[in-house]
Parts: sequence; C-alpha cells; structure tokens
Amino acid sequence: MSLMALRSLNLPGVGTKYEFETDKGDTVAIFFTKSGTIQMYTLQNGCKAPSAAEMTPVEARRLGNILTGAIIEADQERVEIAFSALADLRITIHTFIIPKPIGGKTIEDLQIRAKTGSTVIAVCRHDQNIINPPPTFVFEAGDAALVIGESDQIKMFEREIMVT
Amino acid sequence: MEGIVLALFVCLILALVTKYLSVPPIPFYIMAGVLLGRSGLGLVTEDPICTFFSDMGLIFLLFFMGLGLKLERIAANRTAVLTSGIIDLNVNMLIGFVAASLFGFTLVESAVIAAAFYISSTAMAVTSLIENRKLMLREAETVIWLMMFEDLVLIVFLALVSAANQNPLLLFLKIVGVLALLYALAHWGKEFLISILDRDDELPILFTFAAVLTTASFSMFLEVPKTMMVIALGAAFATTDPDAFEEHARPFKDVFLVTFFVIFGATIDLSGGVNLLMILVISLLAVLSKFVSGTITGLVIHGSAISGIEIWGNTIGRGEFSIALAYLCGSPIVVTTIAGVVILTSIVGSFTAKYSTGLRRGLLHMGRRKSPTRHLH
Repeated sequence: MSLMALRSLNLPGVGTKYEFETDKGDTVAIFFTKSGTIQMYTLQNGCKAPSAAEMTPVEARRLGNILTGAIIEADQERVEIAFSALADLRITIHTFIIPKPIGGKTIEDLQIRAKTGSTVIAVCRHDQNIINPPPTFVFEAGDAALVIGESDQIKMFEREIMVT
Repeated sequence: MEGIVLALFVCLILALVTKYLSVPPIPFYIMAGVLLGRSGLGLVTEDPICTFFSDMGLIFLLFFMGLGLKLERIAANRTAVLTSGIIDLNVNMLIGFVAASLFGFTLVESAVIAAAFYISSTAMAVTSLIENRKLMLREAETVIWLMMFEDLVLIVFLALVSAANQNPLLLFLKIVGVLALLYALAHWGKEFLISILDRDDELPILFTFAAVLTTASFSMFLEVPKTMMVIALGAAFATTDPDAFEEHARPFKDVFLVTFFVIFGATIDLSGGVNLLMILVISLLAVLSKFVSGTITGLVIHGSAISGIEIWGNTIGRGEFSIALAYLCGSPIVVTTIAGVVILTSIVGSFTAKYSTGLRRGLLHMGRRKSPTRHLH
C-alpha cells in the first residue's frame, strides 16, 4: 500500500492548502488561513458537497493528537517521544485527572518519585498552568497533572498513585 | 482632530456589529461617513489629519496588494488565470462602460466607473470563501485567481490614469526604473531585511512603516504616483518574507483603511442631488454583469454553468479597490455613483455569498428532475 501524494498549495490572500486523497477515494483538505484558523474539509467519494469544520490552532493540535492515536481517553492524553540518538530512549508524557481521594495531598505525601520514578512536570488547574510544581504542591480533585517518565513508570503511576 | 476621533469610534462600533452579524463592514463605514460628513451632520471634516489618515489607508491598502502579487504563481497557472481574468475583464468593463456612457458621463468618467464596476472586492471574496466554508470548492481557486488578475488590471489602470498629465513613455520608464531599483534592493539586501524582520523588538514594525512612507514620499521627486511607488515596494518586498511584512503592516492597514472609508464617505458631496435611479440601475447591471462573466467562466474553466453561480455569488461585492479608484480619480458625481454601487453590490454580495451553494444545489435538483435518466449517487 502506498501513501497517496499530499498536495500543498499557497493560495494568495487565503493561506496554505493541503489536500490528499485516501485509498477509498475520499478527499481530505486542510487550510491554514491567514487569520490563524484552520479549516478541515472532507469530501466523500462520489459526493459533490464537502463538509467542513473550522478549528482554532489548539483544537487542531488536539485533533492531530487523536489522529496519531496518542489519546486513549477523551480527558487523558498521552504522547510518546522516541529519541533515536539516545539509545532509542522513549519518553512518555501522560495527563491524569486527579480523583477525589488524592485531593488535599502533596506530591511529597504521595511519594510519586520514590514509588513510580515518574515526575509531575505541570498541573493545570482552572485553565491555569503550574509548571514544575514543588514537592509541597497540594493537589485538588479535578486538577490535570502532566506526568513524564518511561512507559513502565507511567503505568506504575496509574497503578500506585491513581488508585489510592 | 475631534472629527478623526469620532470617525475612529464609529468604526470601532461598526466593526463590532458587522463582525457579530458577519456582514461586510465597508458599506457601513461609507454610510457612517456620509452621515457624519459634509452631506450629513458635518462632524467629520476634511482637515489635514483626516487627509493624512485617508492617504495612509490607501497607501497601506496598495502596499498590501503589492505584497500579495505572486507573479511566478500567475505564470505557473497562466491559462486558467488569463482565461477567467480576460472573460471577467471584457464582460464587466464593457457593460460598465456602456452603461456609464449611456447615462451621459464623459469618456474619462465612464472609464473610471467601468473600472470600479469591474473590480470586485478581494477582501469580501476571501472573507466569504473562508466564512462560508467554501475553500475546498474548485470554484474557490478560480475566484482567488480572478482577484489576483483584477489587481494586475488595477495597477495598469492606475498607471494609465496617472499618465494622463505627463509623457506616458517617460512615466513607464520611470516606473520600470523604480521597480528595478526596489527589486535590486530587496535582492541584495534580502539577508539584512530578514534579519530586521526576525527581531522581536519594535524594529520590524518601525522599519515596515518607515519603508512604506519613505517610498511614498519619494514619489514627489520622481513624479511617479505614490500608488505605483508603494505597489512596487510591496511587490519587491514580496520576494523576501511577505508574511512577515504583512504581519507588521497589518495594524497600520487595519486602522488607516477603515478611517479611509469613513472619511471617503464624509467627503461625498450630495448637494448636487443624487440620481438614485441611475445608481440603482448601474448596481443592478453590476450584479448581472458578474452573473454573465461568472457563467461564461464556469462554462469555460469548469465545464458547468452551475459553477458560474458559485463564482458569481462570491464576486458580486465591489469594495476597497472601487473606492480607491473613486478617491484617486473620480469627479464628485463619479464618486457618489461608485459609492452607491459599492454599498448596494456589497450588501447583495454578502447574501449571494451565503446562499450561492444552496441556490446551486436547488438548480442541480431541478436539472435532475428534468432528466430522469441521470443517476443519483
């Protein structure tokens, strides 16, 4: 199976267009407009009228994550990065929504580093990001914690921390 | 001074309202200008500040147009651009010219009206394609190239009009000279320009503003019109990093251009009376002539008259370039006529742009019912 060619085109005054045809003959076109929005059109094989969705850059990245298979659940996203130059080091970044039982505990209380080896690198609370939270950081139920580590360490986090 | 502040404030409110209703703002800016200006309340008058703002608006509009000129892209797409462009030019210029002549305008006045009648609003066409989610339609590309061809015609027209009071050959040579010089500067200074544009302090925006104004001010020494100078600068800068220049020039364009429309409206002189019937007839013809040119283009380029409806729907609105032509070379009655045509066609155009796809589907269904042998998918 060969990948269909991706055509890109710069449309004066509008922006950049990317278009490709799938194996089944459907067409997908993406436009990065100069106003900053991204429009995605899909045209089913044999149909005349495409359907369209307009996205902000954040929404488009989210869609991109879904399409690459990075997201497992709607609220929990996972990205794995492989560094081929570092003996194929694979680092996983995963978001977890903090459940009620963990609310009120600090990173130190939970012994995250000692128990799992993973690190909480950011917490998103009410649309505000706290980067590199200190060990004394107190979780609240509903926080989104961004945890970084190797795949096994992330699994450990899920088993050891999330279920307590 | 108070006049310009009032004009800016009115623009702000109109921009909010028109964005909310997603209708083109240009006709409302002009009408607000008429209400506030000479023929209305007399609050916005032609003081030097207003004239400066208008000039800036026009200069940045044309600089932007120059930046958007992609000659190599036109060359790569030559047949399609030329075919659709020439159909559009001939049909609309001819109908516009004949109509204006029949209403008793002089030869030059008719030519200016014909050009304003012919040139669709690029801003409205592009906004319509994006907002109505039509970018994927094959007609969208045709519309975009049509707009580019119209820009080229506008440049030639502006050059011809400004050549009226001097030796055309000399002017032509001067324009070519300016263009060559600016291209050479952009070519040899490309690295320097890009290093300036890459900075994140105030330099890129300061440089862009200064470059445009300096180039415009040289027009006095060279006796080359300002309009030509800034278009040439835009075209030369387009060979370096046009996106960066657009980014840095956009704030100036946005502010000055809307005040340009209001001040343009404010200077409209209705004291000689307005021939509303004539404006209505010319506007109606403007809508119809784009229908004719759109249908022919649809047939020739896409092999379907129905495609023409889509092209028509998105190119009815006349706007910024028609107003620029009226401002630069219109007598009072021509200015009033063009303003009227812009107001009416842009309002009609905003509706056709929204509903052209529905109209087109309706026509397809009718066609299907008439020919039962054709398969539905």
